[in-house]
Amino acid sequence: MADGPLIVQSDKTLLLEVDHPQADAARRAIAPFAELERAPEHVHTYRLTPLGLWNARAAGHDAEQVVNVLLAFSRYSVPHALLVDVAETMSRYGRLQLSQHPVHGLVLTSTDRAVLAEVLKSKRTAGLVGERIDEDTVVVHPSERGHLKQVLLKLGWPAEDLAGYVDGEKHPIALSPTDPAHGDAPWELRPYQEQAVDGFWHGGSGVVVLPCGAGKTIVGAGAMARSATTTLILVTNTVSARQWRDELLRRTTLTEDEIGEYSGARKEVRPVTIATYQVLTTKRKGVYTHLELLDARDWGLVIYDEVHLLPAPIFRMTADLQARRRLGLTATLVREDGREDEVFSLIGPKRYDAPWKDIEAQGYIAPADCVEVRLTLPERDRMLYATAEPEDKYRLAACAPGKNQIVEQLVARHQGDPTLIIGQYIDQLEELADHLGAQIITGATSVRERQRLFDAFRTGEITTLVVSKVANFSIDLPEASVAIQVSGSFGSRQEEAQRLGRIMRPKADGRTAHFYAVVARDTVDQDFAAHRQRFLAEQGYAYRIVDADDLPVT
Amino acid sequence: MVTFSDWLRARSDEQFVALLSRRGDLASPSPSTLLSLAARATSRASLLRAAAALDAAHLTVLESVAVLDALGEEATADRVVAAIAAPSAPGTQDPPPPDDAATVRALLEDLTTLALLWHPTPGTYRPAPGIEETLDAYPAGLGPALRPQDTRPDLALLDSPDAPAGARAILTALQWGPPVGRIPASTDSPTYTPTRWLLDHGFLRQVDAHHVTLPREVALDLRSGRTHQGLPPAPPLPIPTLTPETVDAESARAAQEIVRRVAQVISLWQTTPAPALRSGGLGVRELRRLAGQLDADEAATAVVVELALMAALIADDSGDPATFAPTDTADEWLAADLPTRWATLVAAWFASARAPWLVGTRDDRGALRSALEPELHRVWVPRLRSQVLRVAAQAPLAAVDAESVVAVLAWRTPRSVPPQAAVAALLHEAALLGVTGADALAAGGLLLAAAPPLTVLDDDAHRALADTLERTLPEPVDEVLLQGDLTGIVPGRPTPELEALLADAAEVESRGGAITVRFTAASVIRALDAGRTAEDLLADLARHSRSAIPQPLDYLVHDAARRHGQVRLGVAASYIRVDDPVLLAGLVEDPALSALGLFRLAPTVLASTAPASQLLTALRERGLAPAMEDAEGKVVHSDRLTPRVRVPGRRSRRASQHSRAVDGSPEHGTGGALRTDRLQALVARLREQHQLTQERRAQGAGSAGSLGGTGTPSEMGTPDPLVALGLLREAAADGHEVWLEVAGPTGALTRRRVRPLRIDAGRLRAVDVAREAELTVAVHRIAGVEPVADA
Repeated sequence: MADGPLIVQSDKTLLLEVDHPQADAARRAIAPFAELERAPEHVHTYRLTPLGLWNARAAGHDAEQVVNVLLAFSRYSVPHALLVDVAETMSRYGRLQLSQHPVHGLVLTSTDRAVLAEVLKSKRTAGLVGERIDEDTVVVHPSERGHLKQVLLKLGWPAEDLAGYVDGEKHPIALSPTDPAHGDAPWELRPYQEQAVDGFWHGGSGVVVLPCGAGKTIVGAGAMARSATTTLILVTNTVSARQWRDELLRRTTLTEDEIGEYSGARKEVRPVTIATYQVLTTKRKGVYTHLELLDARDWGLVIYDEVHLLPAPIFRMTADLQARRRLGLTATLVREDGREDEVFSLIGPKRYDAPWKDIEAQGYIAPADCVEVRLTLPERDRMLYATAEPEDKYRLAACAPGKNQIVEQLVARHQGDPTLIIGQYIDQLEELADHLGAQIITGATSVRERQRLFDAFRTGEITTLVVSKVANFSIDLPEASVAIQVSGSFGSRQEEAQRLGRIMRPKADGRTAHFYAVVARDTVDQDFAAHRQRFLAEQGYAYRIVDADDLPVT
Repeated sequence: MVTFSDWLRARSDEQFVALLSRRGDLASPSPSTLLSLAARATSRASLLRAAAALDAAHLTVLESVAVLDALGEEATADRVVAAIAAPSAPGTQDPPPPDDAATVRALLEDLTTLALLWHPTPGTYRPAPGIEETLDAYPAGLGPALRPQDTRPDLALLDSPDAPAGARAILTALQWGPPVGRIPASTDSPTYTPTRWLLDHGFLRQVDAHHVTLPREVALDLRSGRTHQGLPPAPPLPIPTLTPETVDAESARAAQEIVRRVAQVISLWQTTPAPALRSGGLGVRELRRLAGQLDADEAATAVVVELALMAALIADDSGDPATFAPTDTADEWLAADLPTRWATLVAAWFASARAPWLVGTRDDRGALRSALEPELHRVWVPRLRSQVLRVAAQAPLAAVDAESVVAVLAWRTPRSVPPQAAVAALLHEAALLGVTGADALAAGGLLLAAAPPLTVLDDDAHRALADTLERTLPEPVDEVLLQGDLTGIVPGRPTPELEALLADAAEVESRGGAITVRFTAASVIRALDAGRTAEDLLADLARHSRSAIPQPLDYLVHDAARRHGQVRLGVAASYIRVDDPVLLAGLVEDPALSALGLFRLAPTVLASTAPASQLLTALRERGLAPAMEDAEGKVVHSDRLTPRVRVPGRRSRRASQHSRAVDGSPEHGTGGALRTDRLQALVARLREQHQLTQERRAQGAGSAGSLGGTGTPSEMGTPDPLVALGLLREAAADGHEVWLEVAGPTGALTRRRVRPLRIDAGRLRAVDVAREAELTVAVHRIAGVEPVADA
């Protein structure tokens, strides 16, 4: 015990010293039950949460194992209260079980009558359960399976779901052995992708967290191949839907006829159907008009792309899909609305999570150099800022005219490298585009125009592209290696991470990617930037901060 | 046949020392004569005190002897054993197992040592005079004895055919007490007839319209002559489940935490002292605010501030308005190392009578009790604390809860069972202090449990206490791991130097085995405020860091330093403003104006530490023709500025009642263990004195022979009321007669020969032998008592 790599804090955080010889063993041992919270360079922070402990129970770990792991790797004695709490928390799981009853269908049974009485007495379970069969058993409406599980979780008595999954309609899917995009060169899943697919399949449902550019689509494809059933894929927008289709055609044995797109433009239902969140959440006369898609086929697998963006109505719809296998994919499961827990409870627990820096070390994503450039506002602008109304302050600071000059310097510095300039405010972006003489893509740009510009960017015809927040997600710009962020949506951590993700595809020549955030000094812009950077900083991306005046003038 | 006093006098020196050391109240203040010692030993207060210290087994034996004695039985050791110890085979008359018998005999001896039992004749026991009054109303669950006119019913009647069904069942229900039953209200009740039958045959006695009692003799017959069903077994102690490492680690954790919190209170209150209520306490809102700052709940916060008060680290400054502020001892305390600081807190807690758990409850007048209130102490707290610690000490490595402690104490001192809430609160305090770890007594706690109760720990004990913590604390770490996300981690307990640095420059995010901190602009500015410079700070951090300082941190510190102090402020009482700088020439430098404390803020602005009126006069004298202006720059007339006299403090200053609160604890040591040699000296002195009295009595025997007369108070009588009462009690117990001197309504003394019957509630009931009438005398009117010399 004297010299372990782990320090267990009373507030239920676990500190893992990365440079310790036993660090890897400890990491593997605690991964099943502790959530990785921060992964900066020296000490990684994990946290014990009830949810994490229950997920560990669901995965077959018991309290004794958890306690033993903590004791075995801990440097100092582990707080007694924490050990007691771990045992207590884990013992709450599984007192209630959801299972299939040969006569009554889906039922909730209990090994502890007091617990059953307690949850049935709660107002929250009213309407979710049906008649009581005997003292230990109560009927559950099959459509409320997800909702009930969520409520029980909130009540602190998570149910063990033994009701299983429907098999779904069989449809043969396999990974193609060769990659047509690379002259039919053979390829296979990377080790971490393999592990992610395994982790997901073993757990039944859940979320896989991988950095941007680490090939989440391929994990999706791998899961589909393993399932070999009809699959519904939910994505954020149409561009992303097309990219999914292209990637599936390239990586699997699926043909174009087998893949359908269900979007604003096209409504195809095929064995593999890719739908956008937007079309599903479209309401006409107060009714979701496209809900039937969810029941259009007997889907064996539902994939949620970018689960961190999952809109509220989809949460509700997902509650009804509990009998189907669900896979959530994301790079950044941080939500400023704090609804991470709902993602975990409805889609499933985190099944795989890798620190960004680990993947970078394996060479699957490009190393990135993050720099915050601080611009000192000129006297006049400072005065303007100081006297502005609070609600205008961010916009005023973020759109500081001085930023144009800096962007120009930065673009000049990376002359010839494909460069993205990302911002929040259209006025600012248009001004920048004018200033640099570059093309611009905003929400107003037509899909065709977007495709054209992206293609031109890919081929190297144009090297500088100004994009609004439409480019935050799921646009595949393989060789972009420089991103300059001039403004963002306040303190959004995941936006910052996703934007960095735009340049993290490994470069052919192994170049380092550069990410610049241009920030106005001593304003809310700086405060928001500090918050935005937190996720990446916690993943080990240390921002260098430079003064605008120190940038080399070209 | 001897009296109690005779018996007591005949005790050996060793026995006296044993008695005096076990019943401390007999020795202090030192009794003047053996007679007064005997009297004191039979006084109600002393007997109650002695009985309160008895455990359930002792009380059982004492009760048993008292009951047997009251029935006129000879309480020999064998009889008492038979009356108490259960027979070897249940339901038989077999002699009890030898172990139980031996225990009972040992208890008899022990009670004799305590002079609660004595030997009227060798081999028999009798309760000390006055004991019966200290026992329960129904000793051993037995009702009152039969009256002389009653006949003792024969139990065989119960088995006769005319005994109604259920009669025996009723007696069985009352047999072991309580011996009072209710008469069925309705004649239809199935128990009505048997009850009536039992009453008619003398098995029960009616006490009022609704109740019956089972007479003592009948109950004893039913119990086959036994007074008890056996010796009450001691309750089990909690089972050890913890390892010493866990207990040590938990206690060390709590110790560090409590010291940190107390230090935090001191540091918070030295910048802004907390206002005191008029009653002298800390207001609820203030407490809640502090709880927020300490990140603790209110109950724990109350304990923290109370501890600071117990250790005299904070005090009511008696200012106006009164506030709580750190004392000068606090500086000393802050400078000490962690174990010493902890030992100071623990020692103060050990000796204190403060009762922090009462905070938030209401007193008799319905007023909310607040923390730090002067009245928030209870004299019994230190004793109870010792008892609780001692119980915990008997269950090493076991998690001890209030319930089990109370169960043990209820067995150990059935006469004074502590409230469970107080025990729970004391255990909670012990846990917060690290006196226990994981609810089991830690090394420091064992030390306290071994210390005599109600004492102030001396320096050695203090050091020993500090050592227990020193041994369990992990090695301090002098290194912080600085990371790019502006966090830092000390992988262990930081050295004091490092801790001070981080306390200055960073926010703590998580504590435990390690400390994680986050550097923010605000925290760095705080460090700069504390007098560090950016370079100092970075150099200090670099010295403690294994790796180089991450660039973002370096930048943060420099950026904060750049902004720090951009806005300056100072203190001035008035200012001078001009349009033409020439007017100000020479003013600042003029030594004649140095009293004004002038200093230049800008070429056209001077500030002064003198009030505006004084400045005005001075400038007028210089012929500058100044005009006074208000905040908006309007000229105001100077006569408006005549200072008004302030009526000093309307509210009369609160009496400084706090000096009492600061060490609100009662005097210690009065009941503490008296040193044996002191006691031996005392016994020797008493003997010598007794000898003298005896001699004097022998000399005056001739004149004292005429005791039968009335009038002159005798030398043999006693003016000491305690001794008088003792003599009376003794006489009442033995049925002897005494000479009683009573002050009449006019103050004249009358002298009567009486046989005392009972002393109760401040009254003596006695039979006047000459007039054969009963009389009742208030004890304060008794001027003297003198035993009648044996005829």
